[in-house]
Amino acid sequence: MTSSTFQFDFKDLKINSSRIETVLGYKEGEDRELVSGLIEEILTESKEISNIKAQYAIFHGVLFDNDTKSVEINNSSFHIKKIVFGQIKKSDSVAIFLCTAGEEIGIRSRKAMQERDLLKGYIYDVIGSEIVEAAADLMQAELEKSMLGSGKKITNRYSPGYCGWDVAEQHKLFQLIPDNFCRIRLTESALMDPVKSVSGIIGIGKDVKSNPYTCRICDLKDCIYRRAKEKKA
Amino acid sequence: MDNFLEKLAYCIENGKINKTSPYPPNMKDQDGADELAKKALEVGIKPDEILENALIPAMANVGNRFSKKEIYVPQMLMAAKAMNSAMMHLKPFFQSGETKRKGKFIIGTVSGDLHDIGKNLVAMMIEGGGWEVIDLGVDVGAEKFLKAIDEHPDAIVGLSALLTTTMENMKKIVTAIKEKHSTSKILVGGAPVTMEYCEKIGADFYSPDPQGAVNYLKQLVSLRKN
Ligand code: B12
Repeated sequence: MTSSTFQFDFKDLKINSSRIETVLGYKEGEDRELVSGLIEEILTESKEISNIKAQYAIFHGVLFDNDTKSVEINNSSFHIKKIVFGQIKKSDSVAIFLCTAGEEIGIRSRKAMQERDLLKGYIYDVIGSEIVEAAADLMQAELEKSMLGSGKKITNRYSPGYCGWDVAEQHKLFQLIPDNFCRIRLTESALMDPVKSVSGIIGIGKDVKSNPYTCRICDLKDCIYRRAKEKKA
Repeated sequence: MDNFLEKLAYCIENGKINKTSPYPPNMKDQDGADELAKKALEVGIKPDEILENALIPAMANVGNRFSKKEIYVPQMLMAAKAMNSAMMHLKPFFQSGETKRKGKFIIGTVSGDLHDIGKNLVAMMIEGGGWEVIDLGVDVGAEKFLKAIDEHPDAIVGLSALLTTTMENMKKIVTAIKEKHSTSKILVGGAPVTMEYCEKIGADFYSPDPQGAVNYLKQLVSLRKN
């Protein structure tokens, strides 16, 4: 097992207001005066308050079982289910990752909400989610780069809780990364604390490819992200 | 008289909080929900009229427009803030008992879960529907819900969960509540929850968005009256 850790700077993530506005649902040409000032303010603040960390560990000799749609990593079996299995089954090794935006942004969101500044609290929350996603993108790019020498490619990243993969399997996943650099605590109910954190798996191999994650793959119908996209269409 | 209420409703729908608030730009330096509510009381409009004929219909419009995807969460939150600034002027009448709200609503995110954004949105829209909301916060177990119901036996209960694992806790809480208070009505919601799951665990209602919950509560009130 080889492990790499990253401490990212907020500016490395290149998150700008227009990206946040899109997540909030705004389409091109729509007036966004209500949110643009607040977004700028919170993005500036985020430079100081984020503690953005990521970590991945690579495991070789993984075994895929087509009958049970599961993968065995270090003697630990993961029932990743059909969709994720299909995406990573050609891998000869896998990376297990953790990534967090840190605690502070969530604390500020909650505080603003308690003070009844609901919009501010909500924008903190959305920016926190974007930070952790952008950080995971960067980590994924680093992993991809590190494979260039060996001629190997990587798949997209997949997380427990998506596509039928039981979110409780995070307990086994966390056991594979004992030196938890991101300092994420996993509750009994498999919730990560800080809330703005993600975990998952990435396939590595000569024959794998990275497919985009689309709404079509997901079975969640009442999703705000799907809402935003449907409106656009 | 109607004019005051119409204007007040307009301010709420458009998120105009008070005179100094810059948003929306085309209403700069005009009275907002705060001033209009105060003035409405001053000219003798009854607090329950303000609630029934301005605050509640304005928030219902906002909720429906959100359900229809015409507006986004930020506009809904701004409207709620404007509604709050008007509601502040009504609070003394609620406290003295002169004005009655529709009823009480207890809400919390279930044990093992720390997500609160969705729960807060629902709480806020239900308050805007004229209800007194008792927010128990996040990571709330059966005991705390039961205690709150003991204190407010007529209250309707809302549970929120964001992960399939914590949805399991939702089931435990519903069972515990129904065992002790078989007539309590329970609403459930949150990203992974479905109508099917709601029925399976014996809860009374599921809604993917806040307005559905507000409408359901409205129905319950008219049933209780009849
Ligand atoms: C943004 C997001 C994230 C962000 C931030 C999470 C957060 N909430 O802070 C990040 C990227 C960090 C993240 C991480 C993860 N996520 Co996530 N995430 C989402 C996403 C896309 C949106 C959540 C959100 O903020 N919605 C906005 C709020 C306002 O909506 P809401 O809370 O759902 O509330 C609305 C309704 O549900 C309803 N409602 C809510 N409560 C109630 C109560 C009542 C009574 C009623 C009537 C209505 C109601 O009204 C609200 C307003 O409309 C959802 C999918 C989705 N579209 O919902 C997945 C989702 C919640 N995530 C999911 C998963 C699996 C995860 C991870 C476990 C993945 C992983 N292994 O890393 C982690 C867990 C993080 C943790 N801390 O443990 C799954 C959970 C389902 C499951 N299998 O358990 C979802 C549903 C995605 C999916 N397609 O399956 N996530």
